[in-house]
Parts: sequence; C-alpha cells; structure tokens
Amino acid sequence: MAKVSIRNVWKKYGEFPAVKDLNIECPDGSFLSILGPSGCGKSSTMRMIAGLEHITAGDIYFDEQRINDLAPKDRDVSMVFENYALYPHKTVFDNMANPLKLRGQDSARIKERVGQAANLLEIGELLHRRPQELSGGQKQRVAIGRAIVREPKLFLFDEPIAHLDAKLRAHMRGEIKHLQRTLGTTMIYVTHDQLEAMSMADTIAVMHEGELQQLGSPREVYNNPVNAWVAGFVGEPAMNFLTCDVRGDGGEVLLAHPNFGIALKPEQVKCLNGRKGGGSVRMGVRPDALNIALERPAEPAIAGEVFVNELLGGDMIVEVQLSDARVRVKTSPEFPGNPGDKCYLTVNRDKWHAFATDTGKAYF
Amino acid sequence: MASRDIVHYDTPLSKAFRWFSAVFIGFYLIWTLLPIFVMFVSSFKDLLEAFKIPAVGDWMGAAVFFDFSPTLTHYENLFRNLNFTSYIVNSLVAAGGSALISVVLGSMCAYSLSRIEFRGKSDLFFWIISTRMAPVVAVMVPLYAIFRSLDLVGTLPGLILAYTTFNLPFAIWILKGFFDNVPYAIEEAQMVDGATRSQAFMSILPLVAPGIGAFLVLCILFAWNDFLFAAIIGSGGAKTLPVATRELVQPQNIQWGSIMAAGVVTTLPMMLLGLVIRRYLVTGLTMGAVKE
Repeated sequence: MAKVSIRNVWKKYGEFPAVKDLNIECPDGSFLSILGPSGCGKSSTMRMIAGLEHITAGDIYFDEQRINDLAPKDRDVSMVFENYALYPHKTVFDNMANPLKLRGQDSARIKERVGQAANLLEIGELLHRRPQELSGGQKQRVAIGRAIVREPKLFLFDEPIAHLDAKLRAHMRGEIKHLQRTLGTTMIYVTHDQLEAMSMADTIAVMHEGELQQLGSPREVYNNPVNAWVAGFVGEPAMNFLTCDVRGDGGEVLLAHPNFGIALKPEQVKCLNGRKGGGSVRMGVRPDALNIALERPAEPAIAGEVFVNELLGGDMIVEVQLSDARVRVKTSPEFPGNPGDKCYLTVNRDKWHAFATDTGKAYF
Repeated sequence: MASRDIVHYDTPLSKAFRWFSAVFIGFYLIWTLLPIFVMFVSSFKDLLEAFKIPAVGDWMGAAVFFDFSPTLTHYENLFRNLNFTSYIVNSLVAAGGSALISVVLGSMCAYSLSRIEFRGKSDLFFWIISTRMAPVVAVMVPLYAIFRSLDLVGTLPGLILAYTTFNLPFAIWILKGFFDNVPYAIEEAQMVDGATRSQAFMSILPLVAPGIGAFLVLCILFAWNDFLFAAIIGSGGAKTLPVATRELVQPQNIQWGSIMAAGVVTTLPMMLLGLVIRRYLVTGLTMGAVKE
C-alpha cells in the first residue's frame, strides 16, 4: 500500500502535450478515479504511473520514493487493462500465477494465492480453461485476479469494465468497489464513464485536454463543479445550460432570459464579483433540480412547451422547448404532459449554477 | 457469430464453369503429380525397364509402367559408392542452420521494428526488404569474391551464411507482420507483472509461433531446394543434395537410375515435413491477414 503523489507531471508526444502540469495526491488506501473523455490524458497518466511510458517532466512518488526511473517490474504495481491482456495460450491458472512466477514464488504459495484470489472472484471452477473459452465478464475477473494475486502497493485499473454489457458493468462496479475496500490497497481507476467514477471512487480527478479540472469527492464534483465543462461532463442526463443576462432590478439582481427572470440570493450575488448589471453568464441547472408542472405555479416559473417525453422506467425525462433552447427535466413517470403541451418549470434556487460565458469558470 | 453458410445458386454459366474447373484440376493434378510418380517408380527400376515406353496412342500400354521387378540398386549405389549420406547431412545442416539463425535474429529484429519507433524506421525497413529485390545471379559474382576472400567458399558455415543473407530479410518482413498483430497490452501486462523487456518478448513468442513455424519451413525449403548457392558457394566441401544430383549427369554417362533415386531422396524429406506441418503452415500464413 502506498500514497501516490503526482507532482507537476507533463507528458508530451513530440510537441503535443497530452498531460499538462498534473498534480494529484492519492492518500494511502483510497480509491482515486481519473475521469475524462477520450484523449484527455487519463490513460497517459496511468501509463506513466505504471512505468509503461516515460514521464516528460515532473515527478511521481510512491510514499516518499521517486519512481520516475524505475522499470515497471520494480514499481510493485498491478494493472488491469481495458482489453484484459490475458495470455491467450495460458490457462486461467497460469495467467493468474504469472506475476508470482515472475517474482520467483514457490509453487505451493502460488497455488494458495491463486486459489484465494479465484475464490474471492468466484472463478475457482474456471482455472483450467483458456481465455478464449471465457465470456467477457469471466475474462474480466481473471484479469482482476491476476492483479490481486500479489499484494502490490497500488492497483491500476484502466477502463476495466468498458467492454462489458450494461448489466454486468453495474454488477462489476459494486464488486470492484467492495474488493478495494476488502483489500485496502490504494487504487487508481481510469474511466470515461462518469457513473463509474461517481459510484466507486473516494476521490475523482476530472481531466480535460490534458489538464486537471477538478479534484474532489464525487459529491463535491457533482454539487460544486469548478467550471462549466466539469458540470456538463459529470451527471446523467447532463446539466442544462442557458445563457442569461445579469440585470440589476431595484434591490434585486436577476438572471434574465427571454423566457424568465429569476432573482438571485444575496450570497449568490456576492459570488458574481460585482457583475450586477450588464454582461451575461451561463446558467447551469441539473435536470433533477427542476420541477415541471402543467399549471402555472405561484412562484416565478419558466414557461415552455413539452418537446418529447422519455420514459426510463422509474424516472421520466421531459425535454422542454424554451424560446431559444431545450432543457431536460427529470420527473416522475406520472407526469401527464404530452408533446406540445404548455408547461412550467420551477428551479430550486440552491441547486443552480452560474458560469462565466468566456472561461466557463463557476461563480457558484 | 455470423453465419458460415455461403449462399450459392446455380446458373447455366456456373454449371459450365464447375465442369471446366473439374477438368482443369484434373489436368493440373496430372501435370504436377506425374513427374513425381515417374521419378518415384523409376528409381526402383533398372535402366532397361525404366525406358520401356508404350507407342503413341497405345493407352493400354501404360500398364508397362508398372511391369517391373523392384530393385534397390540405385539407392545402394547412392549411399555405398556416392557418399550421399554426407550430402544429406550437408543439406540438413545448411538448411536447418540458416533457418534457425534467420528465425532467431529475424524475430528479434522484427519485434524491434514492430514495437519501437525511431527515426528512419520505414527507410530501414524498406532497405531490409529491398535486399531481396535484386536477383540472386546479379549479386553472385561479388558475393563469391567476398566469400572467397573470407575463406568461406566450400564450407558449411559459408553456405549457411549465404542462405541466411537471403532468408533474414524475408524473416524480418514476414515476422514483423505477426508481431504487429500481437496487442501491446500483453507485453505491457507482463512487464507490470514483473517481467523484463526481454522476458516480455519471450512471453509473446508463443503467440507468433504459427508465423515462426511457417517461416521456418519456408526457409528450410528455400535452402534445401537451392542449387545456385550450393553449386557456387558450397562447391567442393559443402556439397548438398541438388548439386550432388546434378553431378550424376556426366558427359559420357547419365546415371538415370541414380538420378531418380537421388530425386526421391531429395524430395521425400520435404514432402514429409510438408505433411507434418501442413495445418500449421496454413494457419501461419493466413493468421497475419486478419486482425482480431
């Protein structure tokens, strides 16, 4: 087990910077998820930690040991690859035994450790099979098994469940989280799926275009995104963005949109740094912070028209057409509106956000 | 998995074509197998019987081919008087040696070319394969001069070196394709698991085994059947089967029986090899074509 510190790390491919000045601290025994779309530098980061790629600049430390110049085999990490990377010509047992064999363990110990790992992952009956005889989920387990037979300082999981079907993915999320808690080993988990990061990690590092956007707990990242990009990337369905004018109206400051004008709370006004009059901001509100009704409510509401209903079983997503944009609202399946109906949206004023139109930085 | 059923509907044209194909294949079989058959049978005949040929148009007379009393004199002659045992050994050593060296060096080189990026890589790769573009005859004279000044003419190491010169580029070229098809992640997993780069390289060799096997066979075939190098570079001390067979043709006396027997001795090992590794060879040569 180890604490991982990534300090001012850069990765350049030729002139192209894939990772820019990255700083992440991952405490001993915690579960860090690096989240971002493809090409954001998350995999490069993981591969630098594993030693599969050179670090262009900066340092990576395991506890207080600088590991920049260590070969992968000397870093004492184990890794699960996106495509499993099982050895096709070896049985499941030999696949899982490989890291122990390479480290010169005796066969009795290997048998014991592989047996334990196989039991933990419930693949005891597959040990004599070869990878091509396994289903995707089973291959996945074998790949994880190969990672946990040793007791490494650090687990690196590179999108390990991206290729599984949705149901199995949901199941494996729970399993992996449980496994990490059971073993207590520090884990760095790379994914492009915000749901995986949200549901499993203690800490999420959101990356975009090689830069760390936000480092925080899933709750922080979800509730207090630092910028519009993070806000839009995290959460499903995605956050709605509307461009509004900031308008001072008597004592109040309003966010004005062709469809509505909503007063800000005093503490929110403070966050706008004096942009009381003039200028525009991007207002962001999550679909679950909006309420929808067919009758005009007493409080100020946004008028629109139902565009389409998507029933998702337990929830319903209603897309509402405003004058110049569409917003998505999460509501209950009992919502009676049909496409074309007039409807009214109300906003929970604690749960909305405002971002700068140019930089995307969050005001609140 | 997609259906394996290949849908086929007959048309008059396709029926006619099927007939044509059958006839063509029949002729092709006769064309390719008859010489081997004649060689095989003749090697067990004495000279008089071997030259019994039916008159033109006498199809029943073909039976005369089978009308003989088998004899092993020609084989006895080869191995007792003509020292063919040592020629077989020479052929085996030259073919096996060069194939082995080519595969060992070739797979290491192919792996590097497949995995490592460096400046001028594509030029280097082209240069390697371009060495095969000149016909052998064109480089034979300079090659002979070089080999002679190094005292390699007429020696087995010389012959092995000559074959390796020509097999190695081919090995690199073919094996690179096989290595390209092995996902990087497998070696990376090995390295994270605790392997050195060379251990990781060794660990993926089983995945390219079909390619290595197929290539080994091609190398052996090339060297075993080669006449030109053997006659010029190997002449004298490192005489191989094809050269020894050729020497049975003397101005005053063409030893047909022994030539046929030598032909059988030369052909048989390769045919056996082909039978043994047939399945392997086909998977090997087609495997590289389709990426998983």
